[in-house]
Amino acid sequence: MNKTVTINISGIIFHIEEDAFDKLSKYLSTIKGYFSKADGGNEIMSDIEARIAEMLQSKTSAVKQVVLMSDVDFVMDSMGKPEEFAGDATENTTTTENTDNYTSTDDGEPIKKRLYRDGDSKVVGGVCSGIAAYFDVDVVWIRIAMALFTFAFGMSLWVYIILWIAIPEAKTTTERLAMKGEKADINNISKAVKEEAEHLRKRMEKYGSEFKDMASRNAPRNAVERTVDFIGDVLRNIGRVLLKVIGVFMVIIGVIFFLGLSSSVFGLSFMTNSSNGGEWIDLLLLDGRDFYLGVLGIAMFVGVPVIMLIYGGVKILFKIKYSNRWVNLSAGIVWLFGFLMLLYVGIKTLSDFNKTAKVRENFSVIQKDTLYLKMHETPINSLELHESDDDEEGEKNYRRHSRGDNDYMIGSNNGTKYLLGHAQLNVIKSQTGKIEIVIVKEAKGGNKSSASERAKNISYVISQTDSLIEFDNLFKVNNADKFRVQDLMIIVKLPVGKAIYLDKSLENMIYDLENVTNTYDGDMINRRWIMTENGLKCIDCEGLISVGDHINGLDEEVDPNDESKGNVKISVNGVDINAKDAHIQVDSNGVNINSVESKMTIDEHGVHVKTKNKTKL
Amino acid sequence: MVNSENTKAQMRKGVLELCILSILSQGDAYPTEIIEKLKETKLVVVEGTLYPLLTRLKNTGLLTYRWEESTSGPPRKYYMLTEIGTTYLKELHLSWYELVDAVNKTINKQD
Repeated sequence: MNKTVTINISGIIFHIEEDAFDKLSKYLSTIKGYFSKADGGNEIMSDIEARIAEMLQSKTSAVKQVVLMSDVDFVMDSMGKPEEFAGDATENTTTTENTDNYTSTDDGEPIKKRLYRDGDSKVVGGVCSGIAAYFDVDVVWIRIAMALFTFAFGMSLWVYIILWIAIPEAKTTTERLAMKGEKADINNISKAVKEEAEHLRKRMEKYGSEFKDMASRNAPRNAVERTVDFIGDVLRNIGRVLLKVIGVFMVIIGVIFFLGLSSSVFGLSFMTNSSNGGEWIDLLLLDGRDFYLGVLGIAMFVGVPVIMLIYGGVKILFKIKYSNRWVNLSAGIVWLFGFLMLLYVGIKTLSDFNKTAKVRENFSVIQKDTLYLKMHETPINSLELHESDDDEEGEKNYRRHSRGDNDYMIGSNNGTKYLLGHAQLNVIKSQTGKIEIVIVKEAKGGNKSSASERAKNISYVISQTDSLIEFDNLFKVNNADKFRVQDLMIIVKLPVGKAIYLDKSLENMIYDLENVTNTYDGDMINRRWIMTENGLKCIDCEGLISVGDHINGLDEEVDPNDESKGNVKISVNGVDINAKDAHIQVDSNGVNINSVESKMTIDEHGVHVKTKNKTKL
Repeated sequence: MVNSENTKAQMRKGVLELCILSILSQGDAYPTEIIEKLKETKLVVVEGTLYPLLTRLKNTGLLTYRWEESTSGPPRKYYMLTEIGTTYLKELHLSWYELVDAVNKTINKQD
């Protein structure tokens, strides 16, 4: 018992045994392969099919209804092997070409070599063996090269897939011959060049004689036509060369882009330290899944056009005319998917920036009359710190002053990554009569609670030893918490009458610190400030002039710490005399004399004298 | 090694065009009939050779065809000579006799 298949040849229905069917359909497709490129190939094909139908019909009857293997063999025998009669078809095409375009090809001209995939000696898709045949090298070398390049970001893997899609398989004998072609050695190349030159020379001579003929016959219209033809021919040749150049460029640009993309994508997905961008993407996106989705999205969104560029270039270079609309369609779909993935990840990430939350934490301060405030350099391994700019010094200063997005850095500790941001210090008047230090942490999140959770997770260190309080310059955010515009502000609440000393190191941590004299931040450091009802007031700024009255020449630098020596200062405000144990100030308010023992003031209210034994004159 | 089969096949191929046109000059025929006639004289070894040739002759305008329903199988393509084909055949006939003459003379001289 055998299974049969019902087929339709030339409108006649046949029942045919399965194995016979396989053989017959293979035979027909081989013939089709031969004639597909010939003139009237379809017509020849249908003629042959009609004949086969007729033959098979003669082999079947009411008694023997099924077409057997032997019948197919008979058909194939009488019809002949495709390679026996296909020669006609190819000859036909060349002869017709000859008459049309003056190109005289010798009968012995070898088949032009073209790039095909070799299905006969394939391991995967026959790409390597096809390339080997094209360049006439042993396929082993191509395979080794492919295998080696797999280690370079898996590059050859992608190239292989592109080539697999772009290069058609050699199906017919003609194609197989074209794939192998003539050996591309020096002899052949020089022969080809000579032939080409000779061909060109003949052609020029022909045109030349035609021109002469025409000139003598005085047939301008014909001459014009010929000239147009000739120019067209030249242009066509230039166009062909130009196309090749474009193809080469497409492939080169494509490969460069591809390398860049694959290295960054692979860098991203392996979370190496090498790429700064990857870490930022990692810090922005929600979780692992979104991260990979984002990376994949980028790879697809950018990768597809790049691959298509290479694909197009390869097709131009190797004159591959066959185009597969499924390739274009699926490329479009993949690209769209990449776009959608990016859109999804983008929207999801953006929604995580929706709400802002602030969390306040109190640092319990040991009360002192004067607090020394100092910055503590957060211990970070500078080697593991990723700066986005090489100019480290300038960058740091810039960052600390501006509190924009660039204000963050990425550090890592034993492989765990974290985000570093600059803390800011502010000093305001306390309402409670106690010194308080409040740390305000801020972060964004999808909702209030996740934002405040994130804010709480910001780690920051303040330490107090006696009257010295040290503030870390950087706060840390764990990688898991992501970058959500975290910010940190320390508010020192100072009651009236209490003083602080701002260490020089705080220069970059304070920003526009309010004070009664409107002194710039840069001038506020290295000085003692006391809280008054109106705000911070400098205690030991006597030597300095307030910003608004700054005059060159009168500005003599005074070291306020050096109180042992006396000095005299004269400015537009008046006279300022610092003695060892006394201070005399003459200004628009009047005269003010302070000494260790007593105090004397002369102003609009009169003369006041205070001494330690509280005698008033 | 010299393959005489190949030369013979080439020789047959060369005169095949003349033979087909001659057969058709005796009356319209469809491929199977042409093949049978050619097979009688062993001019065609494989049938496949005929179809591309017929199509080519038709495309160059020497032949034309009409469809005829068949009682037993698919519709048949009956080929016939065109006017150009008839004059073309006359030329071929002439040159064929010249050729045979010339070839015979050459061969006989060799002997």
